Amino acid sequence: MSGARWLNLRRGFYRFRRSWLSMVGLVIVAALVLVALVGPALVPHPEHVAGGINTTARFLTPSASAWFGTNELGQDVFSLTIAGSRVSLLAGISVVVLAAGFGTLVGAVAGYYGGWLDEALMRFTDLMLTLPSLILAMAVAAAMGPGLGNTVFAIALSWWPGFARLVRGEVMAKKADTFVIAARALGAGTPRILGRHILPNIASPIIIKMSLDMGFAILTVASLGFVGIGVKPPTPEWGSLLSTARGYLPDYWWTAIFPGSAIFLAVFGFNLLGDGLRDVLDPRARR
Amino acid sequence: MIVPVLLGLSLLVFAISHLLPGDPVALAAGPQATKTEIAALAHELGTDQPLPVQYWSYLTGLLSGDWGQSVLTRRPVLADLRIYLPATLELVVAAMALAIVIGIPAGLLSAVFVDRWPDYLSRILSLGAISMPRFFLGLLLQLGFAMQLGWLPLNGRYPIIEDPPPFVTGFLSLDALLAGDPDAVWLALTHLALPAIAMSLSPLATITRMMRSATIEVLQQDYVLTERALGLSRWLIIFKYVAKNAMSSSLTVIGLYVGWLLGGSVLVETVFDWPGIGLYATKAIVTQDFMPVMGVTLAIGVVFVLVNLVIDLLYGVLNPKVRLG
Amino acid sequence: MAHTFPRRHLLTAAMAATGGAVLPATLSGPAQAQARKILVIASNQDIPSFDPHVASGYSSAALLRNVYDSLVRVEGNPVRVLPHLASSWTVSPDGMEYVFKLNPAAKFADGTPVDAAAVRYSFSRLLRLGKGNSWMVAGLIDDNSVTAVDATTVRIKLVKPFAAFLQVLPWQWIVNPKLVEANKGADDAQTYLRGTIAGSAAFRIKRAEPGNLYEFERVANHWRTGGGNLTGAIWRIVRETSSQRLALQRGEAHIAVDLTSEDMVALKDKPGVKLVIEPEFRTFSIKMNTEFGPLKDINLRKAISYAFNYQAMRDTAGFADLMVGPLPNGILGHDPKLAVYRTNLAKAKEYLAKSEAAKGGLKLSMVYVSGLEQERQFGLVLLDSLKQIGIELDIKAMVWPDIVASAKTPASTADFYPVYQTANYGDPDNIAYAAYHSSRNGGWQNPVYHSAKVDALIERGRAESNEAKRKAIYQEFQQVVVDDAPDIFGVLEKRRLALRSDVRGFVFTPVAANAIELFGLSLG
Repeated sequence: MSGARWLNLRRGFYRFRRSWLSMVGLVIVAALVLVALVGPALVPHPEHVAGGINTTARFLTPSASAWFGTNELGQDVFSLTIAGSRVSLLAGISVVVLAAGFGTLVGAVAGYYGGWLDEALMRFTDLMLTLPSLILAMAVAAAMGPGLGNTVFAIALSWWPGFARLVRGEVMAKKADTFVIAARALGAGTPRILGRHILPNIASPIIIKMSLDMGFAILTVASLGFVGIGVKPPTPEWGSLLSTARGYLPDYWWTAIFPGSAIFLAVFGFNLLGDGLRDVLDPRARR
Repeated sequence: MIVPVLLGLSLLVFAISHLLPGDPVALAAGPQATKTEIAALAHELGTDQPLPVQYWSYLTGLLSGDWGQSVLTRRPVLADLRIYLPATLELVVAAMALAIVIGIPAGLLSAVFVDRWPDYLSRILSLGAISMPRFFLGLLLQLGFAMQLGWLPLNGRYPIIEDPPPFVTGFLSLDALLAGDPDAVWLALTHLALPAIAMSLSPLATITRMMRSATIEVLQQDYVLTERALGLSRWLIIFKYVAKNAMSSSLTVIGLYVGWLLGGSVLVETVFDWPGIGLYATKAIVTQDFMPVMGVTLAIGVVFVLVNLVIDLLYGVLNPKVRLG
Repeated sequence: MAHTFPRRHLLTAAMAATGGAVLPATLSGPAQAQARKILVIASNQDIPSFDPHVASGYSSAALLRNVYDSLVRVEGNPVRVLPHLASSWTVSPDGMEYVFKLNPAAKFADGTPVDAAAVRYSFSRLLRLGKGNSWMVAGLIDDNSVTAVDATTVRIKLVKPFAAFLQVLPWQWIVNPKLVEANKGADDAQTYLRGTIAGSAAFRIKRAEPGNLYEFERVANHWRTGGGNLTGAIWRIVRETSSQRLALQRGEAHIAVDLTSEDMVALKDKPGVKLVIEPEFRTFSIKMNTEFGPLKDINLRKAISYAFNYQAMRDTAGFADLMVGPLPNGILGHDPKLAVYRTNLAKAKEYLAKSEAAKGGLKLSMVYVSGLEQERQFGLVLLDSLKQIGIELDIKAMVWPDIVASAKTPASTADFYPVYQTANYGDPDNIAYAAYHSSRNGGWQNPVYHSAKVDALIERGRAESNEAKRKAIYQEFQQVVVDDAPDIFGVLEKRRLALRSDVRGFVFTPVAANAIELFGLSLG
C-alpha cells in the first residue's frame, strides 16, 4: 500500500472519529452484532425463541418480568426481538455478499472482455434494474416457498445489478493501467490478472457499496416478512413479528412497537456507519 | 430505445414467471375439479401450449391491447390496471410532491446553517427518514392519527358509504376536482394524507441531502464569494443560484424514485388497504396468477421508462450543455 | 355515524361564501345515505365471480344468496328449511322423489316468471358445468332427474337416496334461462354470468370494484313481500381483522364477519355494538398422513394424539370448543360422550415406545395456509407439543394453490395437514363424506385417509332415511374413526360476528353465517 493511500486512510479515520453521527452508527452496529452473537443465549426465555409457547400468559403488558410484554401465544416479546437480530443480520449479510459476488463476476467479465459480451451482459443488467425489485423478490420467494434461504436468494436475485454496473466501470478504468498491461506482457492469464491485479485494487468501492447496502438489505428482508412472504415459523424475524402484531393493534401495541423499532434501529445504524465509511474510503465523495 | 427495453422486459418477465413452480390452473379450476376439468381449463387458457407459442401470443396480445387475463377472476389485466394503476400513481405523485415541498427548503436550510444545529437536525432526520421502514411508519401513523386521535381515516381511498366522483383520470382527488365537488376533494385528500406521508420519507430524505450538498457547493464557488464581497445579500445569492439546483435535484429524485415507489407501493398499500397495483400484485403473487403479475411489472417498467425519458428531455432544457454530451 | 371529520362544516362555510354553486353535491353523502338505509358489511374476502353455477366460497355465497333465489332457504338455530321460490313441497315415503310447488308470483328481474322450466334449466346448467356447488348434488341427481310437471310444479327424482337433500337446495341457484340463452357464447354463458346477474332476488348489483367493494341495491316492487327496510348494502373488503373491528366501532361498517377472538373481547363493552358468538358446524382438524411417511404407523399417530396440548389450542382459539371426535358437536348423531384423546404424556410415551420413532431424531413436517394467523398458532401449539415427546416439527406456510396441489399424492402431502371444514348443510353426512370418504382422496378435504369400513358406514348413513338408524350408523362411524386416529381432532371455533346495534332483524343460522342474508335486515 502506497504512502499516499495510507495517509488518506488515516485522514479518513480521523474524519470518521470526528463525525459523531458515524460514531453513533458504529456504536449501534457494534451493539447489534454483539446482541446477535451472544443475545440469543442470554435472553430470559430461549425456549420461546425455539417456538415454545405458554398460552396461560397471553398478551401480558410490558412489566419488570417481561420487559416487552408477551404476545398472542404467551411468548416473551423481548426474547423474540433480541433473537431476531441474528436472523436479520445474517440475512442482510447473506444478501449483500451473494449480490456482491455475483455482481462482481458479471461486472468483471463484462468490463474486462468488452465487446459483444459486455454489451449483452450490460443490456441484461439494465433490464434487471428496470424490474421492480420488491415485486420480483416477492414472486420468487412465494414460488420457492418460505424459509430464510429462499428469501435471501430471492432478494439477492434483484440486488446484483448494482454491483455489476459498479464493478464493470472500475474494471474498465483499471484495465488500461500500466501495472495491468505489464502483468499481461509478462504472460499472466486472465483469471490471474483479474484476481490478483484488478479486483484487489477496486475493493474499496465494492466494500463501500456493501456497507451502504446492508441497511437496505435488512429492510428488504423485513419487508418480505411483513407482506407475509418470508421465514418459516417459529423463526423470530422482525418483519414477520410486526406483520402478526398488526392484527392486534391498538390494544396490544407492544407486540408491534418493539420489533418495528428494532428494524428501524438496525437500518439506521448501518446507514450511519455506511455513510461514515464512504467518507473514509472514498474522500472524493465527501461533500 | 423504449421498444427494445419493453421487448426485453416482457421476455424477462415471461421467462421468470414461467420458471417458477406452481399450478395456478388447478387452483382456478376449484378444489373439486377433476383432472379432465383442469386439462380443459388449461386448454381454454392456452397454458397447455409450448412456451414460445405462449410468449408469442402474449407479445402480440400486448401490442393489440390484450394483456392477458387473471386465471382466478378471469378479468382482463389491462382493465384491472386501468383501475389500480391510477390509485397507486396518485399515491406516488402525492408522496413526491410532499418530498419536494418539504425537502427543498430543508436542504437549503441545512446548507445555509452548515455544521450548526439546523443542519444537524435535518441530517439526522433525513438519515432517520431513509432508515424508517415505510410499513412501520404507516402503522405508527395509523395508531396515532386514526386509532387514538381519530383525526384521519384509518384506510381506504374514500368513505365507502358515499359514491365516489365519476371515473375520469382514476386520481380520486383530481376526479373530484373535475366534478366540481370540494367536499369530495377534501375526503379524497384526507384519505391520501397518511399513506402519502408514509411513502414520502425516502425521497424526502434524498432530496434534502441533494439540495444540501448542491447548495454548499454553490456557496463555495469563487463567483459567489466575489458577489458576496460585492455586498449582495446572502439570501439573494442563494435564491439566484439555487433555483436551478432545486429543479434538477427534484428531477433526479423523481427519476430515481418513481420506479422504486411504484414497485414498493405494496408496503404502504398493505398497511392502508389502498386498492392499488401493489395489493393487486400481492394477491396475484400469493395465488400464483402470472398474468396480473406480469402486467403490473410491465406497467411499472413502462411508467419508469417514460418518466425518465421526459426527465432527460427536461434536463436538456434546463442545462443545454448536457445535450452535447 | 359515529365519526365525522370537521371538514364538512369548514367546506360548507367556504362554499356559502362563494355562493354555494355546488350545493347539490353537498346534499349527497351521509344525510342521504341515512335515508337510503345502506348496510355495510366488512369482510376480508373478495368475490371472484358472480356465476351462480361456477362460484364457490363464502363470499360468493354471500353475493349469490342475495341476488339469486333457490327453491328453499334455511334459517334459524336449529336450522329450519323454509319456503323460498317453492312455496310448498312433498317427499315420497322412500325419500327418492321431491315435488315442489313454485310461488306463481316469483319473477326474474326482467319480468319473466320463475317457472318449472327455469328450475330445470338451472340444474341442467349446474350439472353440465360441474363447478361451484355442483359437488353437493353430484351423483344424487342427473340430467333426467329434474322435470317440469307444469309451469309451477317441479319434480326431482334422486338417483341415489340422500337424507339431507333439502339442506343442499338452498345453495343451488335458479337463473333466468332467457338471458342465459341469449348470451350463451361458446362457454355456456360463463363469460356473461361472471359479471352479470340473471336472477330473481330482491337485490341486484349496483357497483362492483374487485378487491375493494360490491354494492347491492334493492329491486323496486319486488315479488317477495315483507323483509327489512334496507335500500342497499355494501360488501366491503377490509383485509385486516383489526381494521374491520375499528370500522365497526366507528360506525363505518354495520357488520364485521371475520373478527378474531381478541377483536371480540375488545368490542365487548363498546357502545352501539352487538356481538354474536354462536357455535357453528365448522371443524378444524390437523390431518395426519396415514399413507406415506412415519405417520403411517398408528402407534405414532396415537402417541401424537395423546401428546397434543388441547388446552393450549383452546386458549389460542378463543371462543371455541374442543371437538369430541370427527363430527361437530351438536350435529345429528354426534356422541358427546365419545372417548377421545386428551393430553396424557404418559400414554403418549407408551405408544411412542411401540413405534419406530422411539429411537428419536424424528422430524415431521406441517403446512399451513400462508397468512392464516389462527392456523399458524395451531402449528406452534403442535410444535410445542411434539417437543415434549422428542419430535421436531418443520412448519411451512404455503399458498393455498400449492397446498391443494400437494394433496394430490400421499408422497407430496405433508405429515400434518390442517383443514377447516365448513358445513354447507347441517347434516353429519357433509363433514363425514367430505373429510373421511376415500373418494375425496387427492383433494384438499381428505388428501390420503381411506378405510373400507369407514366408506361403507358413510354410504349407509347417507342413504338411510330413518333417523334412529342413522344415529346408530354415525355412532359407529365416530368410534371407528377415533380408533384409527387419522386426525388430531381440533376445535369448533364459534362463529364470531359483530353488528351495530341499529341492525335489526338478524337471525343467526349456523350454516354459512358469514354469508349475510340481506332480505330480512333493517337499519335504525
